[in-house]
Amino acid sequence: MTIKGLAKKIFLIEILKGMALTLKMMFTHAVTRQYPEEKREPFPGFRGLHALVRKEDGTARCVGCGLCAAICPSQCIHVYTSEGVSHEKIVDRYEIEVSRCVYCAFCVEACPFRAVVLTDHFEYAAYTRDDLYMGKEKLLSNWDRFMAGKKGNEYFEKFWHPLSSDFSASGNQAIFKKINSEG
Amino acid sequence: MSGRELKTKELTLSLGPQHPATHGVLRLVLDLDGETVVKCTPHVGYLHRGTEKLAEHRTYMQVIPLTDRLDYISSMANNVGYCVAVERLFGIEPPERAKYIRTIMSEMTRISSHILWLGTHALDIGAMTVFLYSFREREWLLDLFEMTCGARLTVSYGRIGGVRNDVTQEFLDRLYKFTEEFPGRIEEYETLIDQNRIWLQRTKGIGILSAEEAINWGLTGPTLRGSGVPYDVRKYAPYDAYDKVEFEVPIGKNGDVYDRYRCRMEEMRQSNRIIKQCIEKMPKGPILTPDAPKFTLPPKDKVLADMESMIHQFVLITKGPMTAPEGEIYSAVEAPKGELGFYIISDGTGRPYRMRLRSPSFVHASVLPRLCEGSLIADVVANIGTIDIVLGECDR
Ligand code: SF4
Ligand code: SF4
Repeated sequence: MTIKGLAKKIFLIEILKGMALTLKMMFTHAVTRQYPEEKREPFPGFRGLHALVRKEDGTARCVGCGLCAAICPSQCIHVYTSEGVSHEKIVDRYEIEVSRCVYCAFCVEACPFRAVVLTDHFEYAAYTRDDLYMGKEKLLSNWDRFMAGKKGNEYFEKFWHPLSSDFSASGNQAIFKKINSEG
Repeated sequence: MSGRELKTKELTLSLGPQHPATHGVLRLVLDLDGETVVKCTPHVGYLHRGTEKLAEHRTYMQVIPLTDRLDYISSMANNVGYCVAVERLFGIEPPERAKYIRTIMSEMTRISSHILWLGTHALDIGAMTVFLYSFREREWLLDLFEMTCGARLTVSYGRIGGVRNDVTQEFLDRLYKFTEEFPGRIEEYETLIDQNRIWLQRTKGIGILSAEEAINWGLTGPTLRGSGVPYDVRKYAPYDAYDKVEFEVPIGKNGDVYDRYRCRMEEMRQSNRIIKQCIEKMPKGPILTPDAPKFTLPPKDKVLADMESMIHQFVLITKGPMTAPEGEIYSAVEAPKGELGFYIISDGTGRPYRMRLRSPSFVHASVLPRLCEGSLIADVVANIGTIDIVLGECDR
């Protein structure tokens, strides 16, 4: 063993180095968040609790085409429709089993009408399963609670894909700019 | 003991499925002679969800969320693996930009997976501080995932023929900042444990696998490379943008726990390098291929305006790509854990006829008896950590 190696062994150099790092960290900002007291806004496009979009006239925008139910990989959306007097389609029931949902946002992606959306709300733990089996009214009230007014159509930008612009190059796409990384 | 023999008996101990050091629901039945493991029998299947069977009843697009849940700490890499397999099967070529985005995402996943591995592995062995530091960087990456696709773990981001949505300028800037700071962070981890004598004693010379043995056991990924075999799918069968970036494949020498640790640390540096190159090289362009209208959903802004798009939307969502050609393929990608292979048979309907997964964790779990038998019980935990298994992928 070299002298250096011996010195290392006796004086616990590597342990002291580690300790020094720990000590240094005591004088830096804490990175942990005190969660229930201190909350972070989810990023736009966060995939949280569902909501059904309410039109200006107060009714649901959903027309009952059933595409969301068809694409749902966990098959947790149920749409029941019937025929009205003038042969229009009436959505009788629209139900989402929230506890079975995997939050893939495929339902939003599939809906041609921008009628269903995932909100940025994620703290909806409940005591019973019934609370997590959401019917149309509940989903509409989710919209009122989490989406109304503040985010309209632009909220869909993050979900509603693909758009025509995804199939072609557009001018304002993000690319690497050295300036930005320094600034 | 006057003349009488002391009777000894082997003790059977069940480690797991709830033991925190088994990284999930792995159960090891250990036959112990004192502190020495005589026999080790892994029991898998506690997390079996039937992914392969489920895939047979879902359209090609609906399988994507299933792949998220294989190795749930590196779901981006699973998405990419699946999409690459389907694309190769049907001869779809994703656009350049999508390839770069996917490569970035795969490498971010690799870093976040290795960071989690480092933290928990060190925690198992007794170095608690690393765990806290590593989660700081992991949070950074998960935030970036959330920013792009709205989810932190089960991302469902890859699409057949491209990716779900474009990355933003803010994402690129933040990620670039990450790549500039991350090497320093790796050095921090290394300051804590690389030379630490307790760490060295717990890892050096433990769980040795020779190169030949490692190959015979079918190991892949850093677990194989730690034994000195430079096998990496990214080099041997490049997919996405891996043939356009420069990186090295770090290998170990002795094939022990320490060498595998070194391999993964170096791999994080290489991943960082890849991300940086990808950001710099990423071109503008489409993120979904326009040449495979049978597999990608039509543009949403056209669906209500154009009859053909609307029909196409309905058919693709309810039945899947109906005129998909028949055929079968085995395609592999380098997931953080090792070679993740998808064997897909298409019978011309919109759903896979059969999807078989070659998951590295399952193969790696099989080597546990070889590593543990004859070792001390304390090293069992080091051995579980070093092969880096995730039971979601192992049990599928
Ligand atoms: S997010 Fe996915 S799993 Fe949940 S309801 Fe929508 S399609 Fe179904
Ligand atoms: S939410 Fe959209 S996709 Fe689902 S039934 Fe209503 S209109 Fe159709």
